[in-house]
Amino acid sequence: MPTFDRRLLYHFDWTVFSLALALCGVGVLSVVSATWGGRHQGLDPLVVRQLVWVGAGAALMIGAALIDYRVLASYAYPFYGVAVASLIVVAVAGHSTGGSRRWINLGVFNLEPSEIAKLAVVLVMVRYLREDPPKGGWGLKHLAIPALMLAVPVALVLKQPDLGTGLILILITATLIFVGGLNWRLMAALGLAAVLAAPAAWHYMKPYQRERLVSFINPQSDPLGSGYHIIQSEIAIGSGGKWGKGFLKGTQARLNFLPEQTTDFIFAAYAEEFGYVGTMTLLGLYAALIARGIWIARHSRDRFGALLAVGFTGIVFWQVAINVGMATGMLPVVGITLPLVSYGGSSLIAMMIGMGVMISVNMRRYLF
Amino acid sequence: MRIGVLTVALATLFAVAAARLAIVVLVDGPRLAGIARSEHTAVMTLAPVRGPIVDRNGAPLALSAETRSIYARPRRLMRHSTAADRARLAAALGLTDAELEARLDRGEPFVWLARHLPPARARVVAGLGLDGVGAISEYKRYYPESNLAAAVTGLAGMDGQGLSGVELQYDRLVRGQPVELEFYHDALGHPILDSPLALRAAEPGARLELTIDSSIQATAEHYLAAEVAKSGARRGTAIVLDPFTGEILALANAAGAGVKGDERLHDTAVQDAFEPGSTMKGLLGSIALADHVIGPSRMIYCEDGQWRFAGRLIHDDDRNGWMNLGGIIEVSSNIGAAKIALALGARRFGAGMAAFGLGQRTGIDLPGEAAGIIRPPSQWKPIELADHGFGQGVAVTPIQLAVAYAAIANGGMLMRPYVVKAAYDSAGDEILSHQPQAVRRAIPPAVAHQMNLLLRNVVSGKDGTARLAQVADFTVAGKTGTAQMVNPATGGYYQGRLVASFVGFVPADDPRLVILVVLYDVAHGHFGGLYAAPVFSEIAATALDRLGVAPPQAPPSYDTASLLPFGADDAPAPVAAPVADSPAELVPEQGGGIPDFLGASMRDALALARARGLTLEIEGHGYVVAQSPVPGRNSAVASVRLTLADDPAGVAGADLPQRAHPARRANRFVSRFARRMRR
Repeated sequence: MPTFDRRLLYHFDWTVFSLALALCGVGVLSVVSATWGGRHQGLDPLVVRQLVWVGAGAALMIGAALIDYRVLASYAYPFYGVAVASLIVVAVAGHSTGGSRRWINLGVFNLEPSEIAKLAVVLVMVRYLREDPPKGGWGLKHLAIPALMLAVPVALVLKQPDLGTGLILILITATLIFVGGLNWRLMAALGLAAVLAAPAAWHYMKPYQRERLVSFINPQSDPLGSGYHIIQSEIAIGSGGKWGKGFLKGTQARLNFLPEQTTDFIFAAYAEEFGYVGTMTLLGLYAALIARGIWIARHSRDRFGALLAVGFTGIVFWQVAINVGMATGMLPVVGITLPLVSYGGSSLIAMMIGMGVMISVNMRRYLF
Repeated sequence: MRIGVLTVALATLFAVAAARLAIVVLVDGPRLAGIARSEHTAVMTLAPVRGPIVDRNGAPLALSAETRSIYARPRRLMRHSTAADRARLAAALGLTDAELEARLDRGEPFVWLARHLPPARARVVAGLGLDGVGAISEYKRYYPESNLAAAVTGLAGMDGQGLSGVELQYDRLVRGQPVELEFYHDALGHPILDSPLALRAAEPGARLELTIDSSIQATAEHYLAAEVAKSGARRGTAIVLDPFTGEILALANAAGAGVKGDERLHDTAVQDAFEPGSTMKGLLGSIALADHVIGPSRMIYCEDGQWRFAGRLIHDDDRNGWMNLGGIIEVSSNIGAAKIALALGARRFGAGMAAFGLGQRTGIDLPGEAAGIIRPPSQWKPIELADHGFGQGVAVTPIQLAVAYAAIANGGMLMRPYVVKAAYDSAGDEILSHQPQAVRRAIPPAVAHQMNLLLRNVVSGKDGTARLAQVADFTVAGKTGTAQMVNPATGGYYQGRLVASFVGFVPADDPRLVILVVLYDVAHGHFGGLYAAPVFSEIAATALDRLGVAPPQAPPSYDTASLLPFGADDAPAPVAAPVADSPAELVPEQGGGIPDFLGASMRDALALARARGLTLEIEGHGYVVAQSPVPGRNSAVASVRLTLADDPAGVAGADLPQRAHPARRANRFVSRFARRMRR
């Protein structure tokens, strides 16, 4: 660990830190509401665990901030290796729930390596893209290695199967390559290829994934089956109205009409109790965090830091966009958490570490 | 670096998400909120609070008593109570600790601990002050007078729905709105009673006031049951009604020993038809008089007790020779009745029965009323027409028969009988009021008056069949009936199984009560007179006393004997020309003969005279008490002298039957008052 400069403390980014904790607070409130009046007296164990994750996450965020982000470059490939290895462990000996094998049982808690993979992919891509691109932007030949580095974890994640994380990995890599300087013509060609590849993707999808796509296009085709999530989510959000039903007064989430109300559909549970005003506030917090992340990227003293900020901001953005799009019926149901808000230790801690790295980038822009 | 482009792209996507949210919340919100409500709200319906049913004097016959039902929200209770608390709860509920634990342990968010507890016991439970235990009022129907007026009141089920009687007929009014408990339930349908619990205020049912007089009802039930037991009848029915209003004062059914029957569920008085037998003769006579087929003095040969007609023998109980209508009714001659029926003809007899309401529902406000069975008159064969004259081959309900005799009693109007006087909502406002309703005029007032007089001889005449129906101090008019019972299996009659009945009214000169008594399935003999008439007498005596009807202070101001040629006289002079024994020759008076004006009002007399082209000389006012020349004679005479007199029985010709003159009523009141003073 490099020597610690006391001046850093003056430049600690309280904006990111407090926005992250505020979002965690929203998450805890939502988990409290979803479990209130359940079979446990007092605070539900789920709430207690989430509070522990928030505490641990806050500590790790500070820890990450204190580390000079530049040293991360040298750990990028080993970390990537560890992430891929853990995904392989999942594939071989993972703990499965509800048809997918996503977790490694560590006794104390279940680790979700796909969350680690998000950090690792950001780190390894940024590591690769930190060189200035050639004139005219990155070409196809430059992208072979990133594509390979992306393909391995994506393949492993899709195998679990976890379409959502796979999608995020692809989107975040695309974002980084685009910001890192992709050749415009190549970008157009890739876009076209993606469109053409869609039928092939359909062919390789699992039946439940296809169902989700169909029910997304027409939720009423199977209202009690795969369309149920979308319908119930819209009902919860819409019935909340402008001001919401009030904390602990949501009916759809608390009476279990809304599925996954602490994880993938926590946005709908929150919207039901806090209404349109509450969701705008929540989206405002995210917008502020993302804006701050972009500001950090712009003001970073080096390209490595800028891309790191873009990467973690991108994760937040894409997850929020897809999660909200899914909850409001704009996008098909893919399992993606609402960053910092959804219940779940691995995702929360990974995001907090990401935020910590962003803080680190911002703290060190004054140092030379 | 393309961070600027990225920023714009991200901001755009964010704006799209925000817009989409706005659509879901602000545009679709109300619709989605409705779906949400229907998804998570459930309503538990508790039995409604039925309104009370009371008799005409306000005595309760059916009441809804408040009970308390105790429920628990087990999770809440477990959280906020100790084992000792729960032991006290179990004791207060009368459960063992284990039973209570078992109920709380079902994993349900809501359980009933006890239903329908008396409020006092529920207060003990409430006194424990346990969080998670609550009580809801539920109402339970009970009948404070037990089976009194059970056939009228009927029965309401445990869920507060009417099953029979007035409880069923007026269910919509009495039932009240169900008490609704609105609560949330989760996606699996479990009620969540920690959620807001809305008890929807419910309007209790209306209070029904019956026309029944509990005291008369009790009397009727008592004497009917006693007679059923004594005579060994299978069943019995008694109806007491006010002839001028159609109000049912008492309606009782009784079952004999060993006969199964739920009085609250089955009402023989309106739901079963029987062959009336000789009680038909009073109606037949009225129809014949109204149609001017015979006059009261027309003599009919009764064939010495046996008459072969259309290949069958018709029997009388006694060997009678020549008799007029009064005699035929007094001794109840089947042969005489058969001849009158044949003289009337099917069409007129059928129309007359219909005018009396036979074979039609009376419209009484009780459920399941039967119409009786009277085949279309065009299909009657002569032998059937003859049988119908003495009440065989037709089936009527007891209520039809009672209402038909009420028409004779009240001056000729057929009234719609009813058992509910009024209904009041919970605020005490009248929401329903039944007024006496005349269905139609069955017979002219004069005919009613004539029949009234004839029917008195059945009870007080020396050959009367119903001398046991006499009531001390009062004049009774009525008719016995003894009919064969139809065997439903063969379609023929049972041998030696009979229906004995008596229907009559009292006081005959100002009828206050029509009482019908029917005893089903008694053994052979002079049944109507022997079995049913005494019950009439007993009910009538008690009911008249109950109503405070004073006996007439002086004998009637007219002499029946002088009016009616047969009178009490043993050997009536055949005033009219004897009628030949062939039915074809038993022709009605018509055309040139002098019609019978006796008993007619002035208006009716004038109408009749105009129709016959006669001129009238009229003396006095009221009703015709004498005429000259006598009916049936001197078709050449163009002028008839009538003497009219005020009618003491108050049989008036208005559309609605009228009670006696106000002055007479006042008189009666004074005498009743005096009687009470004496007691």
